[in-house]
This record gives sequence, structure tokens and C-alpha cells, in this order.
Amino acid sequence: MIRLRGVEKKYRRGVEEVRALRSVDLDIQIGDFAAVIGPSGAGKTTLLHILGCLDLPSGGEFDFDGVRVNKMRESELVTLRRKKIGFIFQQFYLIPGLSVLDNIALPLLFSKDKGANGRGAKDRVTELARMVGLGKRMHHVPAQLSGGEMQRTAIARALVNSPELILADEPTGNLDSANSKKIFDILHQLHQNGLTVIMITHNQELAARADRMIRIKDGMIEV
Amino acid sequence: MSGIFNLSVQNLLRHRTRSFLTMLGIAAAVGVLFSVFSFNRGFEEGLARELQATGLHFMVTPAGCPHEVASLVLHGSVTPNYLDTGVMETIRNIVGVNLATPILVAQLPNPDRQRVDLIYGVDTNLLPRIKPEWEISGNMPSGPYEILLGYNLAKRDNIEPGAEFRYPNLDTTLTVSGIIGQTYSQDDVFVFMPIATAQRLMDKPNGATAIGVKVDRPEQMETIIGELRAARSDLQVITMNQVMNAATSIAASAKSLSLAIALVALIIGAVGVMNSIMMAVFERSQEIGMMRAIGASRWNVFRVILQETVILTVIGGVIGIIIAMLGGRLIETFIRQVMPYVPSGDMLRFDPALAAAAVVFAVVIGLKAGLYPAWKASRINPIEAIKG
Repeated sequence: MIRLRGVEKKYRRGVEEVRALRSVDLDIQIGDFAAVIGPSGAGKTTLLHILGCLDLPSGGEFDFDGVRVNKMRESELVTLRRKKIGFIFQQFYLIPGLSVLDNIALPLLFSKDKGANGRGAKDRVTELARMVGLGKRMHHVPAQLSGGEMQRTAIARALVNSPELILADEPTGNLDSANSKKIFDILHQLHQNGLTVIMITHNQELAARADRMIRIKDGMIEV
Repeated sequence: MSGIFNLSVQNLLRHRTRSFLTMLGIAAAVGVLFSVFSFNRGFEEGLARELQATGLHFMVTPAGCPHEVASLVLHGSVTPNYLDTGVMETIRNIVGVNLATPILVAQLPNPDRQRVDLIYGVDTNLLPRIKPEWEISGNMPSGPYEILLGYNLAKRDNIEPGAEFRYPNLDTTLTVSGIIGQTYSQDDVFVFMPIATAQRLMDKPNGATAIGVKVDRPEQMETIIGELRAARSDLQVITMNQVMNAATSIAASAKSLSLAIALVALIIGAVGVMNSIMMAVFERSQEIGMMRAIGASRWNVFRVILQETVILTVIGGVIGIIIAMLGGRLIETFIRQVMPYVPSGDMLRFDPALAAAAVVFAVVIGLKAGLYPAWKASRINPIEAIKG
């Protein structure tokens, strides 16, 4: 599904050139459940941004479903993100004034597919809300939710476009252990349903429960 | 499920006070803009209506300033020059003249009431034709010593129909046959009386400040005026169109000034919109980054932000029109105090097309103000934004 060969990512911080990723080789197969771990500043988030097509490598090759991403135009990257990738962030990033249902449906607003906002879509959004355990909180706004509920809303939002890949950047970073476990269980369930999940975490215990652990240090993947 | 519109509305509702104040700026500007155009239209229509109501085609006056003559025709200002009504013979002898009627306007001391009255002598039989919009409490004058009082004059001294008026140089007492309902024009301060009585009062048995003329066929007017000028070069002839132009030119300068103020207010409002939306964009940059990450294109983001400016300006514009309509009477009262002539009747009437045009104009200005913040938002780098 994902193939990285010799991927480099450099950027400038003032006069200094930072090599965030150094010759990264990585293969992710369909259905993988991988935890990315490593110290702060190791390049985990940079790797996730590249895998999520938010950023392009400075060098090397990046193929997604056999298509070379390096050469894609901005509009193609947007389409790829919208159709194939679901993001989950540590800070949830829910829209304050929108209900749980409307937050989950947010990516559909940007879809060009016919029926993306039709009756079927509404049913799907409701089904996702129930699936993450928010059946009774569907019409609540984020301020009325707990941290765990907000993250579950964000997970449902990531799933609404039926992506092939879920990228989670420290999804349990702002949660207590009970909620962290719930979130992990949902991600694990998604993986068991066939979805590919890549999760950055500092939580060694949760990382150990993933099928695969990707250790990164100083921009390089440790074998 | 809601759409992008709801997303924009929710974004604006997050900072209700800020959005409200921004909207208020637009409302004030649109309100002024709408009032200026509304008033101007009402002024022109009212003027045309009043000129039409005189049933006259042109006026003959002593030579003088055209604005003074317009003022005389429209609300009877006092001029020191008089015509001899003998000129009416010359006018009536011109082929094609249907009617010639004298008007005498003057100031007259009224020691009984310790003030100076403005008297308006006219053929009172013609008043229903000249002032069809008047609502009379009492009766029209039916004899030479019966008079009509303007609303303000009657109200100030609490005068009722049947009251008596005396002037030092007239041995006969005048009786108030009726009080004119409020017109919000100069008519509210006049004492209307038969022309012969006014001439006696002013000791001008054959005097008139103007002669109103009606012709059989309007297309003959130029020929008739030409003949009159050839016969009497000491007279000034002014057609109702010229009166309209003269009066409109008085209003035009006020309109230009008000319009300039409204446009400046609208620009300030637009800057307010830009500032408000720009602040919102900065505050929501992480959220915008998230939207880009989950599949929003630059155009999607641009649209959400631009829509917010449209919502602000449309609602602000509608509120402005409502305020202008609700406060119309106040504005009209003010205008009547500062303008030398304002036609009677309501000046500020709701015109849907004008209201729509004012809102559309505000939206166009708002859109321009929203372009930069929307463009800025669409250029937000999702990675930088998400990193915070």
C-alpha cells in the first residue's frame, strides 16, 4: 500500500538546515496496524505528514497504492487525502459550534462525490456516531463532551469518507488511561475490520499492543 | 446534516459581539445609503407630484434669481418685487393660454398675536386643484374674508375653525374657515386667503408676486413663452421643468454630501469586516489546517471564509434598511428642517428594488473586503497550522 525508498525531508530553520528524515525505507501493507515510537524531535510527525500527503519528501520515492506521490499536484494530493486517508489528531480539532453529527460529517462538505451529503451519508454519519459509542450524544456540541468523547468524534470524522488508511498523531496524548484504552480499542477494532492504521504514540504499553512497531530516531528508522 | 453555510454561520456565532459590531458598521452605512437614495427618489417624485398638482405649466414673475423663483413657486417665499396684475391681460390675450391666476405672498405683522404672519393670497377656488393632498379640518374659504391656517400656525396658538384674525390695515375681521392638516412643508406656516384680500392687506390692489399660467396644449408652451417675452421683456418666465431642475439642484448638493458620507461609512464598514474576518482566520488557523488535512481544498477554505463576509454584509445590509425605515420619520423631520424646500408627503418610502440594490452594493463591497482574508486562509500551510 505504502512504499518509501530513501525518503529525505529537509527544511530550513533560520540559517540552519534540518534533516527531519534521512533515507527512510518503509513498507506498509494493507491491514497493517503499526505504532510509530521514538523520542521527541525524532521525525515521527514529519513521517506521518508525508504518509498523509500533507507534505512532500525532499528526496527519495513515495508510492501510495502504486502511484508516485512525489510528482502529484496540489489538487491530486487533496483528492488523495480526502478519499483514502483519515486523520486523527492529539488536540481533536472539532468545530466548537457544530454538533457531534455535523463534526463527523465535516469531510463530506468538501467531497465532490454525488450523494456525499444525501440521505445515505446521513445514515452513515449516524451509524459512525453509534459505532464510537456516541449514540446518545449525537446532538451535543464539543463543549458538552469529555476528552474521550471528543476523540471518538474525531475518529468517526476520520472514518466518514471510508478511507483505506488511518493516521493517528498521538490520539491518546490528551486522555486519561481509561479513555486511552477505549480509543486504542476502537483503533484496534478498525484494524480488525481490515483498515490500515498507523499511530504515533509515546505510550509504550499501547504501542506494544500494535501488530508492528516502527522505531524512529534522528530521522532514521531503526531496524 | 448541515452544509458549508452552517459552518460559516457557526464560525461567526463564536464571537457574537465582534460579529454583531461588524454587522452594525455595515448596517449604519447601508442605512445611510438607502436613506439618501430613498430621500432623493421621494424628493423628485414628490416635487413632480406637487408641480403636477398646481395644474400650471409655467409661472410669470418679476425678473430675478431662478432659485428664488423656484422657491416662490413651490412654497411661496417672500420677494420684494411685485407684478402688476394688469400683465394678466397681456398673458390672457396670447392664443393658447387657458388660465392665468395671480399669487401674492407676503409678510404681515400681526400685533394681536405678536408675530409676523406669512400670507399667501391665491384664488381660493383653485386650492382644491392646487393642493389636492390637503386634509382640511373645517371648510375651504367661501367668502372674501375667510382664511385657512397652516397646521403649525394653528397648533402654536391653539386656533380652531371659527376663530377671528385681525390685521391693522384691514378694517374687517377675518374668520378661520378651516385648518390644514400637517403637511410637513412650508404650507404648515402660511395663512391662505383670497388674492383680493391679500392685495388689500398689502395695499397692492393690483399686485402679485407671480402669475401662474396654464396652456391649452403643452406643446404650444414654447411659442406662448416666446410671444410673452417679446411683449414684456421685464418679466421672467419659468416653466415647471425649470422649477423642478432648480429645486432638484438644491437637493443635489445635499445628496452628494450625504452620499459621500455613506460611501466613507461603507468603506469603514468594509475595513471592519476585513479586520474581523482576518482576526477570525488567525484564531482558527489550526482548525483550517485540520480542514485542509481532512480533504478541504484551498477553494473550499476560501469559500467558507468568503461566505462569512457575505453573511455579515447581507444581514448588516438588511438591518440597515430596517433601521432606515424605522428611523425614517426622524430623518425626514431633520431633512425638512435643514432643506429650503421639501415636497409634502412621505419622503422615505420602502422601495424593494432600491433596498435590494443597497444590500447588493454592500455585499459587493463586503466581498472585496473578504477576498484578502479568504485568500490568506486558503494559503494556510496545514502542517504549520496543526503544529500550532
